[in-house]
Amino acid sequence: MAVIRERGYEHWDGRLTERRFPWWPIARTGVRLAFRKKGFKFAFAGAYIPSFIALGLIYASEQIENFRTFVRGEQIPLKIDPGFFAGYLTNGFLLFMLVFVLAFGTAGLIAEDLKHSALQLYFARPLGKKDYIAGKLAVVAFFVLMLTAVPGLLLVVLKLIFAGSFAFLAQYPWLPLSILAYAALLTLFFGGYVLLLSVSSRNTRYVIVLLFGAFYFSAVLAEIVRGIFRTPYAILLSLPADIRQVGAALLGGKLAKAVPPALSFLVLAGICALAAAVLVRKVRGVEVIK
Amino acid sequence: MSIEVKDLSFRYGKILAMDGVSMRLGEGAVGLLGPNGAGKSTLLRILLGFLVPDRGEGRVLEYDIRRDRAAIRRSVGYMPESDCFIAGMDAVSFTAYFGELSGMPRREAMKRAHEVLFYVGLGEARYRLLDTYSAGMKQRLKLAQALVHDPRILFLDEPTSNLDPTGRAEVLELIRDIATKNSVQVILSSHILDDIESICDSVVILNKGRLAAEGRMEDLRAIHYSLFEIRVKGDEESFRRALGEAGCRVDETEDRLLKVYMPEGADPMDLFRAAARTGVQMRSFVKSRTSLEDLFAGVVGVD
Repeated sequence: MAVIRERGYEHWDGRLTERRFPWWPIARTGVRLAFRKKGFKFAFAGAYIPSFIALGLIYASEQIENFRTFVRGEQIPLKIDPGFFAGYLTNGFLLFMLVFVLAFGTAGLIAEDLKHSALQLYFARPLGKKDYIAGKLAVVAFFVLMLTAVPGLLLVVLKLIFAGSFAFLAQYPWLPLSILAYAALLTLFFGGYVLLLSVSSRNTRYVIVLLFGAFYFSAVLAEIVRGIFRTPYAILLSLPADIRQVGAALLGGKLAKAVPPALSFLVLAGICALAAAVLVRKVRGVEVIK
Repeated sequence: MSIEVKDLSFRYGKILAMDGVSMRLGEGAVGLLGPNGAGKSTLLRILLGFLVPDRGEGRVLEYDIRRDRAAIRRSVGYMPESDCFIAGMDAVSFTAYFGELSGMPRREAMKRAHEVLFYVGLGEARYRLLDTYSAGMKQRLKLAQALVHDPRILFLDEPTSNLDPTGRAEVLELIRDIATKNSVQVILSSHILDDIESICDSVVILNKGRLAAEGRMEDLRAIHYSLFEIRVKGDEESFRRALGEAGCRVDETEDRLLKVYMPEGADPMDLFRAAARTGVQMRSFVKSRTSLEDLFAGVVGVD
């Protein structure tokens, strides 16, 4: 008790500045807090399993002659082309790990702030609603980009290194941009999806269940509707299928269903729009019931 | 004037929470007093820009409450009433984080966080997870985050709620220390009269969203009435009625002490005349110094 009285209150002699990116501390802290969670680092590392498998396949494709003895006939089973990257970036396991990492790392981004009434502390600072949302969105973006854009682009670079030539890039010069575009789309979709659910509850565990449940239940629902109405358009109800459709279109892969990918894109965009509307309404310094 | 509001009104749906409040607050610690639902927290939230008033205007420091919200928030510190923290963080990271969000450079924020945590008495617990903090520690932590960027005005919303007597005394001592620094103005919102009386130079009393009284404590005590504490024996009811007819307000405490609020300018001898007229014996007569509680009871009409 004595220590705090002895010195008394002292002023800070520095000067407050106006940040160009006020959301940056929120993003940095959000990522750091996610990595402090028990077991999260292992989950995050596990999400790179598909990347290592893809890396192995790319390496094998360049060393195919060495494996010729294992291959029957003249047919080479492994071809590295945009379809390969589409398959890698839209495969079910990667999507599952992405949802897993986001669920355990970011589900509480807003839910925890709501639960512990922290929003009023944020908005007692020179922060706008958009800064707060941008900071939280940046946390989701970090994880999505780290699991899609970064390994995707690295695999392209490694393909060039293993091949020892730029022929692959010369043949598909648009591929890196497509990977970036797909990663950006995933970032926007998952950003909206995670924050929409995170702002809907104060209970992080409930949000985690919702994140998994809504994502995979949509796929089950789509199959049921398809079975009943026998229409391929039912896949529009499935979030994983919509992502695959848009991914295949962007990365030059083969469309899984005869449904225009633009429609799948609209579904994903609709979820983002819904998320934006809900976030703007629900993120505020104080609860105002009118 | 550090804070000035004119004709401020705000509604929560059909409920009128603030009804045409106008006031000017100068330097020094100001108490914001009122019963629950009087509009104290609403006023603080409007001043911070959390709520946009339906009508009226106001300035905090030199900034407009509608247009310059960011500038206001950079210059003020806010300690909310409810418990608030970020799970998974320790006190140093938490305090530095909010310093940084206020516009402090990262390193400076971290350095200052250590200082203010020592100041509020959390120095030894600054690396502990906030999830494990007691109610008293969380209260101090809220004060630390409000002070980290060295605000010019400190808004404290019920700073001693949920505290035991020792914790309350310690937090009040901190607030008193801050309030004595000329460059930090403390606006203390509370329904605990003793807290305000012990710290504030002036007081604003709100009741049902309206301004009930405002001014320096001494002036408010003096202006309205004189207070006498009387013990009588006999027909107390008649005596009280007689005092009521003479324009006095009478409250009775649990130990049958009559507190008589006499209007300014009335003759204290009227009390003796009323006693003689109604045939009661006056066993004790003390002119009392009006406390904030009396003032509060006088203007709000509640005990």
